[in-house]
Amino acid sequence: MKLSINKSRSLWWAISSAIILAGIISMVISWQNPNIKAPLRPSLDFVGGTRLQFERDCTKPGNCDQPIDINVVREVAKAQGLGDSSIQIVADKGTGAENGILIRTKNLDREQRTNLQNALTEKVGTFDEQKNQFDTVGPTLGAELFRSGAIALIVSFAGIIIYLSFRFQLDYALFAIVALLHDVFITAGIFSIFGLVLGTEVDSLFIVALLTITGFSVNDTVVIYDRIRETLKTNPNGAIADIVDDAVNQTLGRSINTTFTTMLSLFAIFLFGGETLKNFALALIIGFTAGAYSSIFIASTLLTFWRERNGQATMVVSGESIDTSAGN
Amino acid sequence: MQRQRSLLILILVLIIAAITVIATIPIPLGLDLRGGSQLTIQVKTSAEIPTITERELEGVKKVVEGRINGLGVSEPLIQTVGTDKILVQLPGVNDPEQAERVLGGTAQLEFRTQKPNTETQLFAFQTSRAELKVKQEELRKSADKAAIVKNQEDLQKNNQAIAELFESTKPPLIGKYLKDAYGEPSQGNNWHVAIRFDQEGGQLFANLTKNLAGTGRSIGVFLDNELISAPTVGIEFAAAGISGGSAIITGRFTAQQANDLGVQLRGGALPVPVEIAEIRTVGATLGQDSITSSIYAGIGGLILVLIFMVVYYRLPGLIADIALLIYALLTWATFALFGITLTLPGIAGFILSIGMAVDANVLIFERTREELQAGKSLYRSIESGFYRAFSSILDGNVTTVIACAALFWLGAGLVKGFALTLALGVAVSMFSAITCTRTLMFLAYTIPALRKPELFCPNLPRSNKAEVAQ
Repeated sequence: MKLSINKSRSLWWAISSAIILAGIISMVISWQNPNIKAPLRPSLDFVGGTRLQFERDCTKPGNCDQPIDINVVREVAKAQGLGDSSIQIVADKGTGAENGILIRTKNLDREQRTNLQNALTEKVGTFDEQKNQFDTVGPTLGAELFRSGAIALIVSFAGIIIYLSFRFQLDYALFAIVALLHDVFITAGIFSIFGLVLGTEVDSLFIVALLTITGFSVNDTVVIYDRIRETLKTNPNGAIADIVDDAVNQTLGRSINTTFTTMLSLFAIFLFGGETLKNFALALIIGFTAGAYSSIFIASTLLTFWRERNGQATMVVSGESIDTSAGN
Repeated sequence: MQRQRSLLILILVLIIAAITVIATIPIPLGLDLRGGSQLTIQVKTSAEIPTITERELEGVKKVVEGRINGLGVSEPLIQTVGTDKILVQLPGVNDPEQAERVLGGTAQLEFRTQKPNTETQLFAFQTSRAELKVKQEELRKSADKAAIVKNQEDLQKNNQAIAELFESTKPPLIGKYLKDAYGEPSQGNNWHVAIRFDQEGGQLFANLTKNLAGTGRSIGVFLDNELISAPTVGIEFAAAGISGGSAIITGRFTAQQANDLGVQLRGGALPVPVEIAEIRTVGATLGQDSITSSIYAGIGGLILVLIFMVVYYRLPGLIADIALLIYALLTWATFALFGITLTLPGIAGFILSIGMAVDANVLIFERTREELQAGKSLYRSIESGFYRAFSSILDGNVTTVIACAALFWLGAGLVKGFALTLALGVAVSMFSAITCTRTLMFLAYTIPALRKPELFCPNLPRSNKAEVAQ
């Protein structure tokens, strides 16, 4: 079986464009949404505020007999002047019993927080002190986190472009970055849709996930480029489309197996890992899938397209001296 | 073969070293895994201090340290972050209410006068305080929380008692008058602390010292109402006090002690307000839940990968599995050596780097198969599998490390930990996936029973099989 990826490249490009477009539309809708006001639904990490999480102590007799009524919780919050908070009832992962409360609100100081907790204890039941969790983030800190993440991303792009143009050629490097942006956009777009539909929030771990995806995506692309470079060396006069097709097919087994083994770990974390890592694993699953797809179907076809247009299929020979010296 | 043998010995030595390291150096768990609170303190600029420099940040950190130590929390971690922030981690503290209360606000430094006829009392209190402090240090090492709290209360009472022996000057000589303070060497091995007041402060200080000179009573230097130094003033200053605004505090200071006191005084004198910018708490059980399930998930995923490798790649897969286990050992030991604190993103980075290590082997084995299918001999196929796959492994890993470096230098907190573990993992994987696998592979090749191409690649064409078997 041989895939002729270059023949149907307009199909691959159309698929990617459609997904990215859907993501962008979702980001625009999110932006317009008064509850979100950002392309992706930001968590506390980025906008600041206070998040409180309580869980009832069910070892106390009678404490958990009544299910938590979300309206009661709302009433309590309103009485504290926190009517516009978002309130959720959280089910316990093991038992499925709804004994947790998650409240997200504007920045609360110590006193306000204690008042809220006491009022809730009175109406809902005693909470397990060990399981209480609260986070407060100032708005400037979130902005800084986002800024430093974005700068790190841009700097790593620049570094990757420089390294790849040194090891391969500039056009390889640029298309690797296009493939990488493709993966980042697809992941961000899908999470934007999740944010609209399921209320999924992106936190600082999401930035970490995007950065990991860029690393892996480039890795995938490099493996195929390496094969193209090698084939071009032995067969400098072949049609670029054939050479790229061959390279993709020869590395296909590796692409599938590597993606598969990585997915094994990621799915394990997604399904059975701690709550905190779930969305992180999901982002990586989407990103790595997009990464495998883009390195096979996008980066390689773009390179063919570019070289066919510019008649550069044979030009690679000029870059060979760099390749051999650096490869040995 | 000689080279293979020395490599094999090297690998064995590394494994033993790694096991020793793992057994002796424990990897500390991050706050997100063990539970506790983390407070980020933002140091604000003010009219007097328009920019925060490192010197000022260090001073404020000292003040924060003093306040946190007053809480009696075990193993608090206080470090500066960036140019104007201080991170405080309080393991095991679920409700940082107390910490919040003491952390906000500007430091209060004051020079006070000792009340007459209290010398013996002061001496007694200071002696008992020294004892309590020693006891506190010992208790912190143990886990006896009740005893720590009890001792802390005693210390508080002692502080209060000491504070009552002093009174403020009129007007009070407070931190804002102090221009600078630093430790410097005097004669021999001794150090002293130099202090300098502004003009108004100099005047107040002269009055203060004039009253105390030769009486045997001390100047009480208080930071946040705790006595940090109690120097006496010599009789020769009885006429005019120490004038000119400068003075030195002598004593049997070591360089460390003199510098510490200098930094404390400077920090106390800073008119910069601090604000708590972020609070994060993780309940202890919540941390435990996520660590256990994440670790189980990671191990489960890893076992699946190991099984897949053997099923798909046969003998090389088995060898890669051994190399992968070596990899896990070495990486863990590297984390311990680098003093990495394990956090959730750190675990994620580790698991992902395992993926990278597997990828390197997949690349090599796929290549070996191709060469076998092309009709090359087994030995040559293995050789060129490693040789040809190397450039893509190298390029792939270097790009990952570039991304990690950007994250490490520019990212903050979480991102940093993740970048470091991933980069270290990738570096170790270059060794384990290439050198280890290769050495073990050729070791296997020396055993005739294992020298069968079918063990390397199933479903080889018949003709090939005959050819390569020779």
